Amino acid sequence: MNIKNILKKTAASIAFLTGLAVLLALVSAFFLPKNNMKAFGMEEPSANGILGERADSIDVLVLGDSESYSSISPMQMWGQQGITSYVCGTPGQFLYESENYLHQAFENQTPKVVILETNAIYRNFTPEAAVMNRVENLFSIFRYHDRWKSLNFGDLSGSVNYTWMDDFKGYRYNDAVDGTDGKGYMAFSEKSAVIRERNWQYVADMAQFCQDYGAEFLLVSTPSTVNWNYERHNGIAELAGACGVRYIDMNLMSDVIPINWAADTRDKGDHLNHAGAVKVSAWLGAYLKENYRLEDHRNNPDYEKWNESLKRYQKAVNPGSSAL
Amino acid sequence: MTLNSYYSIAYLAVFLPVVIAAYTAVPKKVRWAVLLAASGFFFWCISGKLLIWLIVSVISIHYAGIWLSLLKEERGRCLAEAPKGEKRAIRQRFQKKMLAVASGMALFNIGLLTALKYTPFFAGNINSLLSGLGIEKTLPVPALAVPIGISFYTLQAVSYVMDVYREKIPAERNLFRLALYMSFFPQLMEGPICRYAQTAHVLWAGERIRFANLVSGAQRIIFGMMKKLVIADRLNPFIKNVFSDYMSYDGGVTALAAVLYTCQLYMDFSGTMDIVIGTGEIFGVRLPENFRQPFFSRTISEFWQRWHITLGTWFKDYVFFPLSMTKPMKNMTARARKRIGSHYGPLIAGAVSLGAVWLLNGLWHGAGWHYIFFGLYHFTWILAGSLIQPVSEKLCRRLHIRRTGCAWQAMQIVRTAVLVCVGELFFRAEGLRAGLKMFWNMVCNFRLDALADGTLFQMGFDRKDALIVGAALIFIFVNSVLKERRVCPRQWLAARSLAVRWALCYGLILFVVIFGAYGVGYVPLDPIYANF
Repeated sequence: MNIKNILKKTAASIAFLTGLAVLLALVSAFFLPKNNMKAFGMEEPSANGILGERADSIDVLVLGDSESYSSISPMQMWGQQGITSYVCGTPGQFLYESENYLHQAFENQTPKVVILETNAIYRNFTPEAAVMNRVENLFSIFRYHDRWKSLNFGDLSGSVNYTWMDDFKGYRYNDAVDGTDGKGYMAFSEKSAVIRERNWQYVADMAQFCQDYGAEFLLVSTPSTVNWNYERHNGIAELAGACGVRYIDMNLMSDVIPINWAADTRDKGDHLNHAGAVKVSAWLGAYLKENYRLEDHRNNPDYEKWNESLKRYQKAVNPGSSAL
Repeated sequence: MTLNSYYSIAYLAVFLPVVIAAYTAVPKKVRWAVLLAASGFFFWCISGKLLIWLIVSVISIHYAGIWLSLLKEERGRCLAEAPKGEKRAIRQRFQKKMLAVASGMALFNIGLLTALKYTPFFAGNINSLLSGLGIEKTLPVPALAVPIGISFYTLQAVSYVMDVYREKIPAERNLFRLALYMSFFPQLMEGPICRYAQTAHVLWAGERIRFANLVSGAQRIIFGMMKKLVIADRLNPFIKNVFSDYMSYDGGVTALAAVLYTCQLYMDFSGTMDIVIGTGEIFGVRLPENFRQPFFSRTISEFWQRWHITLGTWFKDYVFFPLSMTKPMKNMTARARKRIGSHYGPLIAGAVSLGAVWLLNGLWHGAGWHYIFFGLYHFTWILAGSLIQPVSEKLCRRLHIRRTGCAWQAMQIVRTAVLVCVGELFFRAEGLRAGLKMFWNMVCNFRLDALADGTLFQMGFDRKDALIVGAALIFIFVNSVLKERRVCPRQWLAARSLAVRWALCYGLILFVVIFGAYGVGYVPLDPIYANF
């Protein structure tokens, strides 16, 4: 094969692949949900409710798996401290997904604090899944291809208008009680649970990202007898030290967050229920307010919608009373 | 990265491009080494240390080949020195020795397969028997790890040894060449079952990758992905629901599940074959086809000449013919021919060999009674077809039915498809008892209520899924019709203008990307034949 022929075929290949990339980008625009509601095909609408929030209105961003949205109630913190937070937690969240939510949030928000619930750090994933996630970020058709079943003419226009706001701000209310004794799960150990290199790197990258954007990155282990132990605590403490970020392990703070494992869990210590989340959020809200000088927006007219949401939230979680 | 399937991102986006790049970068004389290393790595990624069993097989047949070759040389020397009268005896003596070596090593490899794959099945059945007889003693049922593709490469090993014995091919002295023939990575998981003469030399030759081959191989890979991701995987939730909870559904749903499972199996296996053959094509290796439009078959016998062709021909060449050519079988055929005529005589005698083939065919697919039933089911229909053929012909003549007419042929095609679907029902069922119950339900409780009230589309497969699967099946049907009429769709495509070619390729890629059953909400279906 002569040089001319090689060049011709290389050019044809590049042209074909470029054409394919353009087509995928075009189709991705059609398939991207045009609003952040489930009816529009948005995945994880609760976590993506942040897209509907007014720009630069969120002070604290929470990332993580089910532990995050079961333990931290932004409305509780709003009602008590007047700080705005949002939980972008999803079931079984992988760190690459946490990173997606982090980057997505910073497109429209400027949170001062970013909390990563640490259970996700011990959730392993394949590099293949991480690569696929990047491809999906590049061409959303791979993430939203299944929307072909619900596409309509409005999707062809391509304009996005996120309007939905979650009154619970990502928190998922659950008042079921299925207790456990919760004894001894944090027995002291000098060993450290190993964090995979890949997971370590993701956390380090997120910490760096927050630093670059002037936000504090905070690692928080919410109470869970099933998922947490002292070895994991040690592992995360090492990671936090290496990344130069703060680490709060609520599993070792029973004096200030008095979780009653007989009543404050919905599934035998795996997740907290609403009673547990109230205790965690009460402490966390006060801690954030005190340590990060977050402003109380409750009397700011720009945040009136938060007060409206709070009323609906209170009605939902405590139908018999208007108090928290 | 999880390199565990031909459909994984790791395989398609990393492994294959890296192998192609490495193969292109190295000099021609060491390209075989790239393919062998890639094959070993691929096997290791899926089966880890079980790679040792593949190595044992390769070494055993290499040794057997050389032994046979030495015996052949010795025979030559003996024949050259022997007086004329003794030559026949020498030939027979060496023939016996060579047969012992070849069959011994073939049995050794089949023994490995049996031990690893069938021990739990046999032990479990012996225990059931002992329990039935009131004997308390039981055999331990080991949980053995089975290396990927053992059912496929074992048959390749046997074919190599037997072909050397039959002097169809010379013994291979290069262990690596034999290893590459046995382990070429695209065919490791699901075949096709190749003969040494078909692939060994071209694999070793290390021909450069041609642009045309690359394009054509990639086209075939995408076509295969369409079959698997759009059809087989999209059908999976419905099929899984019905087969795992078969007592909850009426006969109409069961019948539909049998039909859709047949589609799924065909799309899954032939889709994988497209990827396998497409990959081979990229490296200039022409792997044998495993399918030839099987659903245009007019008889079950013809179906098996078009479905999993390389398995069928393997059983024909290494079980059916050798068994039919044994002295007792020849005597039986001669006696039967005298007693019941030249049609039924050989047929009845041949039924013994055919029965053995189908028993082994069923067992090859898996260690379970429903697989054995599946094999014998097809044996019964093939035998029945041959037995009633003269009667059927006579009847058609009397009734003035034109057997070459379209209507008759269409009826035959539909009949064969129905029989195949029933067979696949047993094949997919979770055990023989479940298969029989499903069949009974299908026949005695056949209703179309689920279709009428729309509940059919609430079983993990809605109307839109049905529409897309239908569209994809029509596309494949048209492709098959063209092939039946000896029009090669890819040649047709190659003759079109650049704009048409690119538009069709883009269309197919987008079709797979949009309508493929992958991502959130879908559990990928492991390639079905990889488990065999």
